[in-house]
Amino acid sequence: MHPLIQKYKLDSIFLPLVAIVITCVFWYAIAGKSVVTEKVDDFGDKVKITKREGLSADLPTPVETWTASKPYIVEPFAKRGELDQGILRFTWMSLVLVAQGYLIALVIGTPVGFFLGLSKQFTKAFDPIIQVLRPVSPLAWLPLGMILFSGVKIVNADGRTTFGASDAAALFTIAICAMWPTVMNTAVGVRAVPVDYLNVAKVLKLSKWKTLWKVLVPATLPYMFTGFRLSLGIAWLVIVAVEMLTGRPGVGGFLWQQYNANSYAHIILCILTIGVIGYVLDRLMSVVEGRFKTA
Amino acid sequence: MPLIEIKGASKGYGHNGSRSEVLKNINLSVEEGEFVVIVGYSGSGKSTLINLISGLVKPDAGEALIEGRKITEPGPDRGLVFQNYSLLPWLTVEENIALAVDEVFKEWTPKQRKEHVAKHIAMVKLSHAAHKLPKELSGGMRQRVSVARTLAMNPKVLLMDEPLSALDALTRATLQDEISEIWQSNKTTVIWITNDPDEAILVADKVIPLLPTAPATLGEPMLIDLERPRDRRSINHDPKFKKLRTQLITTLLDAKGRTKSKATMKLTLPDILPEDITNKNALPFLNRGGPKRRNADKREEVEVTA
Ligand SMILES: Nc1ncnc2c1ncn2[C@@H]1O[C@H](COP(=O)(O)OP(=O)(O)OP(=O)(O)O)[C@@H](O)[C@H]1O
Ligand SMILES: [Mg+2]
Repeated sequence: MHPLIQKYKLDSIFLPLVAIVITCVFWYAIAGKSVVTEKVDDFGDKVKITKREGLSADLPTPVETWTASKPYIVEPFAKRGELDQGILRFTWMSLVLVAQGYLIALVIGTPVGFFLGLSKQFTKAFDPIIQVLRPVSPLAWLPLGMILFSGVKIVNADGRTTFGASDAAALFTIAICAMWPTVMNTAVGVRAVPVDYLNVAKVLKLSKWKTLWKVLVPATLPYMFTGFRLSLGIAWLVIVAVEMLTGRPGVGGFLWQQYNANSYAHIILCILTIGVIGYVLDRLMSVVEGRFKTA
Repeated sequence: MPLIEIKGASKGYGHNGSRSEVLKNINLSVEEGEFVVIVGYSGSGKSTLINLISGLVKPDAGEALIEGRKITEPGPDRGLVFQNYSLLPWLTVEENIALAVDEVFKEWTPKQRKEHVAKHIAMVKLSHAAHKLPKELSGGMRQRVSVARTLAMNPKVLLMDEPLSALDALTRATLQDEISEIWQSNKTTVIWITNDPDEAILVADKVIPLLPTAPATLGEPMLIDLERPRDRRSINHDPKFKKLRTQLITTLLDAKGRTKSKATMKLTLPDILPEDITNKNALPFLNRGGPKRRNADKREEVEVTA
């Protein structure tokens, strides 16, 4: 085999595998193990008592996690009940909600970013508000969303609410938390448009509209997409908190419900799923982002 | 009436404390069809001067006129070829030129505009690269696109800000000839900025030195009455050329007076920079440099003490 390919295999397959194995061993070491002891009870009968022992007694071992999670992974789209569905079914619900909130974030965030980048006065006026709102946690936004949209109620033909206050609040929370990277990056991008390009627009006497679409937007696109990628990451981060608080079905909701049901193995399944999906989303976005990197 | 006129213009940058005057009392008049070259040192205010005419820079005092009207903003009647090409990197060659043509000739049919674009791409010999992006082109090709874009606007005057300074000597020579040829066929008025005295004399009808006094002023125009087309190989031995060249360089050097001055001339320097051996500190691996190359620096500058 070519030495380069060998090196590649070593670096990108072997080394991560080693790290995964080490992590699993560490996990196994601290996880609780079932210990069965026999005891004679008060009536003189022998009974078996199962007790969990270990550093973190309630933490399931990797093998237990796998056994408990198997039905959810092998049949990822099964629907056994409202709160007992395949993991990808839950993920899909979460993704749909994230997509909606994320779209709202982009649709609002990008123009705001442009205004900030283009107008010094606008920046001066709104920068303090933005800087104060930016670090606020989703846990704080959600109740506000509930209050803001308490009147929202869309009812379908059978009288069931299809879109209520909690849905609106969920979207609001995702959108407002995910918006900031898009706003900031777009603004920075607009300010970083080379003067030369703007001079070209001036010399050619392009109209405002044409300058925007032919010069400003293309020159800002790389920055915008960096913002879009970071925003998507945050939207996905926020979803769990939102689902926990509103009790919507989805990975986050499932996680919380499994915690309350003492099925700890499923929590780990959810965490891993959330992580993998987040990683995949980030990779997808950076592929798109790479496309828009101009010379 | 001259086509372009600058009357008593001056320009400086910055505010009170850190203000520096760049141009002072600039007077210039360019007739229709003239090919005027302005030569000056690097950083002496050449771009500022040409941008007074393009409208990108407003004079602090005095005024710039086109056909007797005051210049207040940029416009397509003054085609500017930027010092660094300034093509839009997300548009192909064709689209870059079309952006200009579509804006300037709104009343034409799409077909007319398309043909106009194609004609100008062919004029700069880039038909084969019409659908390429600027990043896929060499520096010389990019500059040709930039020239074509400007010519395609049919400007009354072509303003060229050091159009060839970023190119290597051979490409530069080719483009000098090509642009001269294009000019001879359509005789647009040209104001060309350069830092190369040879280039100035080779292409111009009239050379005006931008004297590096601080702030800079324009010197006496020199008429270049050499026959066209000028052949760059034989012209080097032409006594008239030699005399003009010496005169121009002397004017520029003298203007700096007895102070230590900098001139940008074509001199070949050894490609190695001296190593600094004074600073032998305790961390030798930090400055284990060895000889360094000079060629990263494109302008070969030489200190001349008058
Ligand atoms: N927008 C600006 N703000 C402040 N100072 C400026 C500005 N533009 C130019 N200057 C200063 O004015 C002086 C002349 O600049 P200018 O670009 O006109 O020189 P130049 O002759 O075109 O130089 P080069 O040969 O490098 O292109 C420089 O000292 C520069 O620092
Ligand atoms: Mg310049």
